[in-house]
Amino acid sequence: MRAEATPAQADVSDLDLVRQCQTGHPEAFDELVTRYRTRIFAMIYNMVHNEADAWDLAQESFVKAWRSIKRFRGRSSFYTWIYRIVMNVTIDWLRKKQIKGAGVEFDESIQLKEIDPASKTAPKADPLPHTRMERSEIRARIDEAIKQLSPDHRAVVLMKEIEEMQYHEIAEALGCSIGTVMSRLFYARKKLQSLLRDVYENV
Amino acid sequence: MKTFEERWTAWLDDQLGGKELVEFEASLSDKARAHAEKQGAHKLGALLKDHFGADVLNNEEFFSHQIRERIRRESEAQERAAFGGARSAWWSIRRLALSGVTALAIFAIFAVVVMREKNPREQSEYLTQILNARVDPAVSPNATISMFETKKDRVTVLWVEGLQSLPADYAAK
Repeated sequence: MRAEATPAQADVSDLDLVRQCQTGHPEAFDELVTRYRTRIFAMIYNMVHNEADAWDLAQESFVKAWRSIKRFRGRSSFYTWIYRIVMNVTIDWLRKKQIKGAGVEFDESIQLKEIDPASKTAPKADPLPHTRMERSEIRARIDEAIKQLSPDHRAVVLMKEIEEMQYHEIAEALGCSIGTVMSRLFYARKKLQSLLRDVYENV
Repeated sequence: MKTFEERWTAWLDDQLGGKELVEFEASLSDKARAHAEKQGAHKLGALLKDHFGADVLNNEEFFSHQIRERIRRESEAQERAAFGGARSAWWSIRRLALSGVTALAIFAIFAVVVMREKNPREQSEYLTQILNARVDPAVSPNATISMFETKKDRVTVLWVEGLQSLPADYAAK
């Protein structure tokens, strides 16, 4: 696998890159990683609220995608397909964490204890660019509100509001019906509106 | 038939149109409140987008590098496993052949030993001649021949009674 994709690959469609991957060209997969790593990391980070965990889960998602890329038939976009993997990995992780934490899922002290020092973690990077105090406070409020949603509701609302995905794309990514997506969106929004009304009304 | 939740969501996202939109809005008991909710939902969306859009992946190249390394290691492990599998299959074929040859050799040795044991060792030349001889019932009607043999001592006693004459072709050497 090469360190960098060739400039020509930047113009190649996702589907063509997938086909190259399927014929044993890992450098094509490298280009796909480059294209989606930021969005996928951000999506996972917004769900788990921890940079090191988001890093590991994003890595795991890409590696899983590589393992199963030969089964990708192109019926959906690569983006939707990999989002399905990302969502499976992340929601599974959140559920396990919920079971482990028995209701104190996002207790920071527990979270720190559970990080294995030998785990595949990213080197500690600079803090995320939430430097302004005001924004930090708002962000903290939003994070707290998101944490109160179930993993499925989190996924739906983030895919809709942040990724601006269509209902059918979300349904495909989550492996559920469009009706379920819309229903989950209804309850997730209601909950967030009740928790964040004072924030968005005063911003 | 769509549920209320589905129609509400579609309405918030401006996905309802035509007759469906008219019917839904007509079904709302408090339109002003519903529109305020819709506006609130849009503000919420904007708030989330504003604050979550800023998340960036630091060390992007290191991120890709780690994935490349993991994939490389996995591919190597798979190749090793495939090679190991082929080698173990070859060994099993060789073992099978070797086992076959060994079994055949043991069978051959066993067969030779047993067959040798079963074969009479050294039969008396006289005994053979006498046993092969025809006793003419007309000449010796009451002839009886009894044989006593002790293989261990390699001794055979032939007890003949009522024999009137020896067969003509009897010729002990």
